[in-house]
Amino acid sequence: MVLLLRFAYVCIQLRIILKSFVSQLFIHILVPVAIFGFIALFTLFAVYAERKIAGFVQDRLGPMETGKYGLLQTIADILKLLQKEFITPKAADKILFAAAPVIIFGAVYIGYAVIPWAPDFLPANTHTGLFFIMAVVSIDAIGILMAGWGSNNKYSLLGSIRAIAQMVSYEIPVGLSLIAAVMITQTLNLNEIALQQGVLSPEPVFFLGIWDVSNVGGFLAWNIFQAPHLIIVYIIFFIASLAECNRAPFDIPEAESELIGGFHTEYGGIRFAFIFLAEYAMMFLVAMLGVVLFLGGWNTLLPNIGPLKLADWTTGIGWGIFWTLLKSLTIVGVQIWIRWTLPRFRADQLMSLCWKVMIPLGFVCMAISGLWRILVMV
Amino acid sequence: MEELVFYAFAILAVGSALLVVNLKNTARALFLFFVTLFAMAGLFIFALADFVAITQIMVYVGGVLILMLFAFMLSNKELLKALQHIPGRFLTMPNWQSLLLALGFFGVLLWGVVEWQQQTPDWIVQNIKQGNVIQPHDNNIQQLGLKFMTQYILPFEVISVFLLMVLIGAAHLSRKEEQK
Repeated sequence: MVLLLRFAYVCIQLRIILKSFVSQLFIHILVPVAIFGFIALFTLFAVYAERKIAGFVQDRLGPMETGKYGLLQTIADILKLLQKEFITPKAADKILFAAAPVIIFGAVYIGYAVIPWAPDFLPANTHTGLFFIMAVVSIDAIGILMAGWGSNNKYSLLGSIRAIAQMVSYEIPVGLSLIAAVMITQTLNLNEIALQQGVLSPEPVFFLGIWDVSNVGGFLAWNIFQAPHLIIVYIIFFIASLAECNRAPFDIPEAESELIGGFHTEYGGIRFAFIFLAEYAMMFLVAMLGVVLFLGGWNTLLPNIGPLKLADWTTGIGWGIFWTLLKSLTIVGVQIWIRWTLPRFRADQLMSLCWKVMIPLGFVCMAISGLWRILVMV
Repeated sequence: MEELVFYAFAILAVGSALLVVNLKNTARALFLFFVTLFAMAGLFIFALADFVAITQIMVYVGGVLILMLFAFMLSNKELLKALQHIPGRFLTMPNWQSLLLALGFFGVLLWGVVEWQQQTPDWIVQNIKQGNVIQPHDNNIQQLGLKFMTQYILPFEVISVFLLMVLIGAAHLSRKEEQK
């Protein structure tokens, strides 16, 4: 009898362990799949938006044939890409050529693991979040070099070498701007950074370092208004992040008039789709990172005005996701707008902008952050 | 489960490292080195040293590895050919010397295993009793920062001055020669 009871007990214990294991596994699979789904959806939407905005800027219509207002155009495009056969150039290094798109996309995709969408609603709440993103995004460069070298094509190699030179240089202003912001926030945990910029903040929040807005919230509590020099820092971050994603006006790596298509000249079909996906995922990632660090993350835009508790009413998981999406998509919209407005930089202009303007400015801002922390925030 | 992942990373690190030294194709070997570094970073995370793991990826993958690849791609093809065709030798030494070196290194490893007394040292046991251990959810970065700025300030500053020297040296080497 005792033996039977013990056996039943062990069985129950085992079932509980198995159940928690399965549910954990479920979460660990479901969340990445959801993020991947979001990236794919976002890319479809963003490519359509990009073409429509380009049409608007250049005074034409953009895609109009497929579906109403061309809404189905990008879906038709992706269906075409999925059906295409794998073509590997004869002289290419087969392994590197095949692995490159996976690494390029993987690097950007892993970055989404630590970005918060809403209060305490993020895939991984780690103390090293921001540092993790910086490290993971630098893997992207290896993938691009792999693609360029593996293709065994001079245009690809030139494109990838240009891309690396640009990404490695612009990582410095990005890093400096992030350090300037982190010196104010005093944490690398992205969830805590977002938390400090709204009504839920555990510490008092000061607008411009003077006015206590802990209970007012809204845009007044965002980092760029907590310390005014962070506005400049955000502009540095934004420009440098454009270069990090190889977006116009810094799209020298894929300058189609000089290099055909840059490092992805030889790619077609689903491999090209993955490189494209990585590019748009990167756009959204840097937009989101900028939003979390400088523009309040998932915090609401609306402040509490007297009895009108707009900030309290518009904070929560659903609202958080809404604000994150709204802010990030606005930033992506600005990225697209800039692409179709400004002409491409020359390689030497690009480098002198980085090393002679943005890096010194970044250092000055970092020094101001230190002084601000010591003298104003005490 | 955790042990499984640990051994997966360990096998990945050792296996890819073996392949890196054995591959004839230098470009592939360099790209494979990335896998080795990545697996090493994974092992660091098992030691709850997530900061070290991320720094490893940032510095080695984002910096050193890219530098090595650039050096490889921009160097002379003929020079590389000579390097790639070393006839079956280890470090271009005669076989008996390399055998001696390998045996010596193996001896050191063996000595380490023999010396290691199959039990945890006293100071570790003591600290575990006192609850003086790192938890996975601890904020290690803050601890590191405090230690760097207090206990280890001298080495930290020496390293930063050293890095500054390297930067100045690099800038000096790469500047244009003055036209005379």
